[in-house]
Amino acid sequence: MTKIGLEIHLQLNTLSKVFCSCSTKQVETPNSNVCEICCGFPGSKPVLNKEAFEKALKIALALDCKINRVTFFSRKGYFYPDLPKNFQITQYESPIGINGKFRGIRIRRVHLEEDPGALVHKGSYCLVDYNRSGIPLVEIVTEPDFKTAKEAREFLRELITDLSYLDVYDKKSDFGLKADLNISTTGAKVEIKNVNGLKDIEDALTYEEERQSREVPKNSETRGWNAERRITVLQRTKESEDDYGYITETDLPVIEVSDKLLKVIKDSIPELSKEKLTRFTSQYKLSDKDAKVLSNNKRLSELFEKVAKQVDPEIAAKWIIRDLVNQLNYHKKTLDQANIKPEYMIDLLKLFEGKNITDNTTKQVMIKLIKEKNFSPKEYIEKNNLIMQSSNSKIEEWCEQAVKDCPQAVEDYKNGNEKSLNFVVGKVMQLSNKTANPDIVRKILVKLIRK
Amino acid sequence: MKAKEYVEKVKSREISAVKTTKGILNEIKKINGTYSFFNAISENLALELAERIDKNPKGKLAGLPISIKDDLCVKGVETTCSSNILKGYRPPFNATLVNNLIREGAVIIGKTNQDAFGFGSFNVNTDMGIPKNPVAFCGVSGVSPTYGLVSRYGLIDYANSLDKLGPIAKYVEDLELVLDVIKGYDFKDSTSLKQDIIKEKEVKKVGLIKETLDVDPKIKDIILKKLDEMNVEYEKVLLPKTSKYALPSYYIIAMAEASTNLAKYCGMRYGQEGKVNLPFNESFSEVRTKNFNKEVKRRIILGTFTRMAGYRDAFYLKAMKVRTLVIEEYKDLFKKYDLLVSPTMPIVAPKLSEVNKLKPRDHYMMDVMTVGPNLAGIPHMSVNAGFYDKLPVGIMFTANHLNEKRLFQVGKGL
Ligand SMILES: [Zn+2]
Repeated sequence: MTKIGLEIHLQLNTLSKVFCSCSTKQVETPNSNVCEICCGFPGSKPVLNKEAFEKALKIALALDCKINRVTFFSRKGYFYPDLPKNFQITQYESPIGINGKFRGIRIRRVHLEEDPGALVHKGSYCLVDYNRSGIPLVEIVTEPDFKTAKEAREFLRELITDLSYLDVYDKKSDFGLKADLNISTTGAKVEIKNVNGLKDIEDALTYEEERQSREVPKNSETRGWNAERRITVLQRTKESEDDYGYITETDLPVIEVSDKLLKVIKDSIPELSKEKLTRFTSQYKLSDKDAKVLSNNKRLSELFEKVAKQVDPEIAAKWIIRDLVNQLNYHKKTLDQANIKPEYMIDLLKLFEGKNITDNTTKQVMIKLIKEKNFSPKEYIEKNNLIMQSSNSKIEEWCEQAVKDCPQAVEDYKNGNEKSLNFVVGKVMQLSNKTANPDIVRKILVKLIRK
Repeated sequence: MKAKEYVEKVKSREISAVKTTKGILNEIKKINGTYSFFNAISENLALELAERIDKNPKGKLAGLPISIKDDLCVKGVETTCSSNILKGYRPPFNATLVNNLIREGAVIIGKTNQDAFGFGSFNVNTDMGIPKNPVAFCGVSGVSPTYGLVSRYGLIDYANSLDKLGPIAKYVEDLELVLDVIKGYDFKDSTSLKQDIIKEKEVKKVGLIKETLDVDPKIKDIILKKLDEMNVEYEKVLLPKTSKYALPSYYIIAMAEASTNLAKYCGMRYGQEGKVNLPFNESFSEVRTKNFNKEVKRRIILGTFTRMAGYRDAFYLKAMKVRTLVIEEYKDLFKKYDLLVSPTMPIVAPKLSEVNKLKPRDHYMMDVMTVGPNLAGIPHMSVNAGFYDKLPVGIMFTANHLNEKRLFQVGKGL
């Protein structure tokens, strides 16, 4: 039977690195976002970033872990060119959290550590970029509770969705997630090191499961994932466990997690996706499909909930979950980039709800809302006279003109072709600058033509 | 001349800092060829600082020439810890201690020699650094303050949890003056203390550590005589756990920490450069084999051994537990005594020819008196107590955490 366990490394979305004040922003020029601390220069000392610690604590709590109330850091020793001090500051004896559970999978531990730099291979030589060195990583270790690669991927997808709810992880950076994968089928346990992103993780596990059915591993081994060839490759067989010679990192103080801090962090944990899904279907009577779209997207659900407080949720659902998402996709923008103010969306949908603007106008204005910065729908609609015209005399005027302009369509309608009326309605809309109430237009046209 | 008098004269422009500095630099250059006191002479920096003082004589240390031990970073000045592996390394930043000295007008004249990475007992210096044995052997005074009182930022680590920085000078008054400048909380060193030295300085009762009297009888006599002169109530006390376990624990912790601190030197990022070829492990080994001396290698191997799985519990973790016991034993004595007294060294300064005959274990034994306080992180001070065959004998006072004022109080009275 297949057993899979994950050691997940996630980059926390802090402002600065975990032990120095360098920014965590991605920088193009190699080795330009570094200092004496993240390069491990002799004499430099680490200072713990409070934000990173609290975010790791938040994750441990969200994953239902038992919190170690006294926790400290350790040095994990190994020589590697991308590791500035040739030891990594991590946690060993006292991880922030232990024995948690998430989506039915047992969590062994959650701890905070520093990312090493990156090796850049160029033909026959290799360069080292330390820009990434010192980015805060949280390591989440699961028990070997997964039975399939698909289960593992689904778990990771839900995990990163929830972590983006917690505002501890930036979902956009797929590179922000790496994992070591432990998989055993019928033979010895195999570890696949350093796989990036959800798709590769699933593919590596699927490949390895299939491979092990062909060549049953006799000894424990470490393998790597070749992302180009989509296969795992043997790195070394393991005779014994790796020995990193852990000792306490005495340059950093022992941290006591106070009752107060624990409460503050607990209270800051928002509703997570699974709870949100259930609530959306019951509170707003949304379809499962709509509720799922919302629960997977923090910003969208925030926007929806703000709007649904003032506008009929059914209308809010149609325009936000379906139309807005479609338009964003079409214009290749994320909600963050579009940065739509909820007040503007409320203004717009209230006008629609009150039958003050047509379907068509709503759509056009929403596109402008996506594309333009600081665009006020209300002002725009007023300025351009887009308020729906329901005054009969005005609409009659446009209708009479349209009947004159489209004699053929009128004739066809008279001869029993119902559809040709749409052409005449379209003409009225054009004349009215899309502001005429289409229901009234239809009524008046039928009356005019039948006369 | 005491430092304070000198500083007053610089401030009243009786003495020119530039003139003093030039004189000292010339003197150093003359004798350094023979004695190698200095690894680097920071002539440009020294003259620049001295000129600044002559223009505007300000600060508690205005114009005072100070040398910095080679394990403290001085921006742009070669800093090697006297090890080949750091040859050519010019730190891009100042240690906090160096910044504090400069802020108060000190003139940094150079980097003094030490045993590579502070390993070993024989250094000749009258400066800033981890004052240990040189103090007793040279007949000067040195104070090693409470752990965390002086920021370690910019100190090239030997053993992080044990390293303390303090001044060495001729007079106790000078120690106090300089400590006042270099102490204080520093956010860049997470182990630095927010509390200040305790004001209380009265010394009513002193404990003479019985186990430390098992030394050359002539050294013992000098210590007892000095104690009688002090005119203070004293009695013999016991430190059984510390006497038995402090030395091995100190060495296990120090070597375990040192072996990780020394890992970063692999010829890739600073100091000695090696061509890094694949497999990189071999390139790293080549640089390390060539540039670390025998004592450094010995300690890396021992230190690495004590933290490996299977030995970790028996050595490193046990040593950490002993450390707690040692602290408790001292704390108990300080309930009753204001200070503890012992000789600083079990022997007088050996000649260079004798040093070469000492075995590694003999070297480690030199530290026997100072490891207890270092392990416990408590302050201790060594001053000259007299002479034996014309060689100086040091007397050591140890105080409770942050009780440096008591040390200075007795030191000034001697
Ligand atoms: Zn940095």
